[in-house]
Amino acid sequence: MAIHPLGKNQSKTVVPVSVRTAVNADHAGTIAALPETRGFWPDLWRRYRQNRLALFGLFVLLALVIIALIGPLLYNIDPTTISPSYNLNAFPSAANWLGTDNTGRDTLARLIYGLRVSLLVAVFVETINITVGATLGLLAGYFGGMVDFVISRLADMLFAFPGLLLAILVSAVFGKAAEDQFGSVGRLLIVTGALSLVGWPLMARYVRGQTLTLRERDYVLAARSLGADSRRILLRHILPNLAGLIVVSSTLDIANVVIAEAVLSLLGLGIQPPDSSLGIMITQATPFISVNWTQVFFPSAVLTLIVLSVSFIGDGLRDALDPQSRSH
Amino acid sequence: MARLLLRRLAGLVFVLFSITFITFLVGHLAPGDPIRVLLGSRQDQSLYDRLRHLYGLDLPWPQQYLNYVSGLLHGNFGYSFRYEGRAVSDLLLSGVPVSLGLGLVALLFSIGIGVPLGVISALRQNTWFDRGTLLATLTLYSIPSFVLIPILRAANFFAYSHKWPSLPVAGWGDLTQWILPVLVLSAATVGYIARLTRFSMLEVLQEDYIRTAFSIGLRARTVYGVYAFRNALLPLLTVIGPSVAFLVTGTFVIENLFSIPGIGYLSVQAIGQRDYPVIQGTTVILAVAVVLMNFVTDLAYMLADPRVRIES
Repeated sequence: MAIHPLGKNQSKTVVPVSVRTAVNADHAGTIAALPETRGFWPDLWRRYRQNRLALFGLFVLLALVIIALIGPLLYNIDPTTISPSYNLNAFPSAANWLGTDNTGRDTLARLIYGLRVSLLVAVFVETINITVGATLGLLAGYFGGMVDFVISRLADMLFAFPGLLLAILVSAVFGKAAEDQFGSVGRLLIVTGALSLVGWPLMARYVRGQTLTLRERDYVLAARSLGADSRRILLRHILPNLAGLIVVSSTLDIANVVIAEAVLSLLGLGIQPPDSSLGIMITQATPFISVNWTQVFFPSAVLTLIVLSVSFIGDGLRDALDPQSRSH
Repeated sequence: MARLLLRRLAGLVFVLFSITFITFLVGHLAPGDPIRVLLGSRQDQSLYDRLRHLYGLDLPWPQQYLNYVSGLLHGNFGYSFRYEGRAVSDLLLSGVPVSLGLGLVALLFSIGIGVPLGVISALRQNTWFDRGTLLATLTLYSIPSFVLIPILRAANFFAYSHKWPSLPVAGWGDLTQWILPVLVLSAATVGYIARLTRFSMLEVLQEDYIRTAFSIGLRARTVYGVYAFRNALLPLLTVIGPSVAFLVTGTFVIENLFSIPGIGYLSVQAIGQRDYPVIQGTTVILAVAVVLMNFVTDLAYMLADPRVRIES
């Protein structure tokens, strides 16, 4: 079976299983040494699950997402209502499963709310990073010249600010107005926007670098000589080969975003009290650590779980997606 | 060499332009009319116009940007909205020494602990010491400062309640008040620098010239101290840039959680009061400090490594 450069098979160069499938189909029974064939997803999953830490990370993250989604339905306590019995800094009990904070609000309810904030911000920021950063990086790397110059300088301008400085500036200046206009949602929007502002240039830089090497590949040349236009080459030949890089780097970046959101919250730039966020919960409980350490421990533990699980998942995905490191 | 230097200088100018331009732009787009805020209850049109003119807000924005930059070059960061007529540079001047001192001590501490830790762990690769250090530095590197603070506070309180020597947990002035903030601020950079030193040292130890040095019969101390260590230190110069950037973000969290009157504290105060010129000023100061630090380490790297000079 011949493989046409513009055919369906070629676009799957990420994992050239299709080649093996073709060989197997033609010589069924004659080449016994070839491993059994699978599609892209089963193959990815088979390699991913061999990494125990990655598997553990996936289960932890799934559990956290499920808790964030349906938690409030099962645990029906309002996160901003102060306990009527003035039960402050309480340890875990049957009434308050994870205790109460320094003003007597239920910790588990606040934790679920904070978890929602963290995950929501992470998902939005990565979505923007992928759509804006990857698209601009792809265009810059592929077309070069003026397009590259403008996009790269724009990214460099944003890179000029170290760490979270720009995100702090932007959310400091626009946060209050957004809150006046849209309430908590406005704050979330500003935090998301500020973190994307410092996040997309990195994604663009990664994707641009990778695109620069991909566009010189023989199969791109072959496609072009067969008359494929830029759109087709970008979408069918280059983008599929970037998918691994994009997925892995944005997964790993979730850890940074979650911590950054907590930092903005504790500086008073994120979600505002009485609403809760992991960062707010940790700072609020810190002065009372000698009274009740569990109130610092629970939000810190959830934060650590998110950060660790996405790191494990990212590493696992990188190994599973990288054909070079594949031993099977 | 000269061409490379020129390229770096051009890069520096571009970065400085970016920082001032974006900061100006954010301030320019800031919601609300600062003059109205300044006037408070004395809303009067002629006064309004005069103040608007005084602050240069009636000019077209490119002119405003140029004025802003020329002001910065003269050390004029504008005037605080909140403390009437008070120059932002005055406010900044009170915070800069504090943050600079804290940052420098933390940086020196990170290098002083991180480098030896990395070197020893590379020389004892795969021993319990190496594995322990790897685990400890990974933990230090990944634990956010706002999680580390409660842990240290709890330990400190434990010491206090057992009548052991303990440390103050907030405030500024006394030398003992430096210890906890410096520890928290440098935790991540200690981990980062130690790991990179170990990596760099291991790389150098595999070089041919190390084998040659051993084979001509030099003592291990000479080989490690003179040949390996000095070469392993070179890549570390590049680490200082990211470390300083890391310390800057850390400054915000630590100064606020420990009530230290530095730039980060000032900035967050200003955020609460919506005093945009102060926020802009702290952003510019911190960003420029990091950029200049990067530039200097770049130059130092060029001077220290003949290969960089020759390749250019």
